[in-house]
Amino acid sequence: MNLVINELKLQWIEMRQYWFETITSLGFLLVMFLGVFFGIKGFVLQQGDNQTLDSLIFGFLLWTFASTAYGSITRSVIEDTQKGYIEQLFMCPKGFVGLMLSRSLADIIPSLITVTLMAYLVMFITGNWLNINFLAMYATLLLSAPSLVGFALILCGLTLVYKKIETVSAVLSLLLMGLVAIDGLPFNAFSLLPFASGATMAKNIALLNEPFIMTHLLIVSANSLVYLGFGIFIFKFFEKKAKRLNLIGQY
Amino acid sequence: MLSVKGLTKKYGDNAALSKVSFNLGKGEIVALLGANGCGKTTTVNSICGLIDWDDGDITIDGTSIKQSSAYKKQIGAVLGGCRNTNWRLKAKQNAEYFARLRGFKGPALKEKISSLHTALGLDEHENKEILKLSTGNKQKAALLSALSYSPDYVLLDEPTLGLDFQTVDSLKAIIEQEAKQSGQSFLVTSHDLGFIEDICERVIVLDKGNLLFEGDVTALKQKLYAYELVIEYLENRLDDYLTASLWNQRTEILHDGQRTIIKYDTPEQVTPFISTLHSHNLAIAELQVNKLSMERAYQTLINTTQEASA
Repeated sequence: MNLVINELKLQWIEMRQYWFETITSLGFLLVMFLGVFFGIKGFVLQQGDNQTLDSLIFGFLLWTFASTAYGSITRSVIEDTQKGYIEQLFMCPKGFVGLMLSRSLADIIPSLITVTLMAYLVMFITGNWLNINFLAMYATLLLSAPSLVGFALILCGLTLVYKKIETVSAVLSLLLMGLVAIDGLPFNAFSLLPFASGATMAKNIALLNEPFIMTHLLIVSANSLVYLGFGIFIFKFFEKKAKRLNLIGQY
Repeated sequence: MLSVKGLTKKYGDNAALSKVSFNLGKGEIVALLGANGCGKTTTVNSICGLIDWDDGDITIDGTSIKQSSAYKKQIGAVLGGCRNTNWRLKAKQNAEYFARLRGFKGPALKEKISSLHTALGLDEHENKEILKLSTGNKQKAALLSALSYSPDYVLLDEPTLGLDFQTVDSLKAIIEQEAKQSGQSFLVTSHDLGFIEDICERVIVLDKGNLLFEGDVTALKQKLYAYELVIEYLENRLDDYLTASLWNQRTEILHDGQRTIIKYDTPEQVTPFISTLHSHNLAIAELQVNKLSMERAYQTLINTTQEASA
């Protein structure tokens, strides 16, 4: 818990000291969404499909959350190496993975607040008022977030050894849009992808007010556990390799 | 006690470290010396758990550091010059962040950070982020982070890099005070041998991954030449054989064109040579007698060892 508080403090300091950057990044996110929203609004309304508009708004919120959960760790390894203190993070007594998990939790909590605020702002601007069950959404997203963290750990492991993988990282960030859009439930081939089942469950429960299904919960939990476990395993493998080749901190 | 036991690290066929062993006791200030690429940073990074070594072990109070990463709570480090701080934060914010990372917090920590902040002369830069600081002040900020939570073992890789004389003096005072009062142990690598000579009780010299010397500074100095005579002849120079015969006791003579460099131990050794120069009426362009600094003296240790192994 001490690590999570430390990371929250770090975030708060950076957000406050670099307030212009904080505001512009939130503004950029909002403007980007409004561009997409108004771009397709006319087309959707012509077809009289309001449901698609609601899904679009909800999908945007999910994507914002997913990007944060995924990006918190990948940013750490890439940016903290460039900032020049990754070695100090590897000297954390709780271990680097422990620190990264704390960091993602510390990123996810403010992200949920941002998503809520963004949701109301977007609904206000677009005039599309959705009936979102935020409590159900938070619970589902927290349950499914570890799959994204595990996925990010795999990428971080690769970064430690192969260094320049920003392009792969950017492509994977875009793929997140696909992950939040596809139907991962009921169980199908897409359920095997990280977060897809969690995003669908969040949409079903929080937006469409569908009843809670135990099998879906098990699928989402299993997806989270498997990806997180696999992510940690792969990261440890590459961490060991990086330590053997003296690559920690070399960028 | 921190013990490095037979530490060996290879990259392919090249040995970065070869069976290096030494101890760092409570309250000791020990220097790790050697030329670039001799294995100093590999040793420090191994202690920090940033490198997996091939053979040997590193223990703290008898327990291998490979068994648990909890030992890192007792380690503070300034690694690779200034590259240890988050440049988006201020010096105090950095120190507090890295201390909390190791589980330290509370008013005592804040008080310690404030007093070190003042001692290192960072107060006038209190409101500046690291990215706005000069190289020397960045180094001070890194030192602040490493010392803030009073770790048992402090590893300082080139801590004087970019520091002015005044700050180097402050740093010496801080290290000596921490070692004496808190029993903190310091392992310092530096090319600033004046700094090393002033604060270190013991010296470890590495050369190409091998332990060349371990002992106190006085013992090292005894192994080294104390003086150097540099003579540059205008035209003819004294015969090499004759030059060599004029120096009794231990000497090292190097000829370089019109220049001859002679390293020796005691002032009286020089008298026969000067007398012979006078009697042969040789024209001299320049003659210097230098007291060897530890850095120059330490180079002769490496040369001597290389000659012996050849």
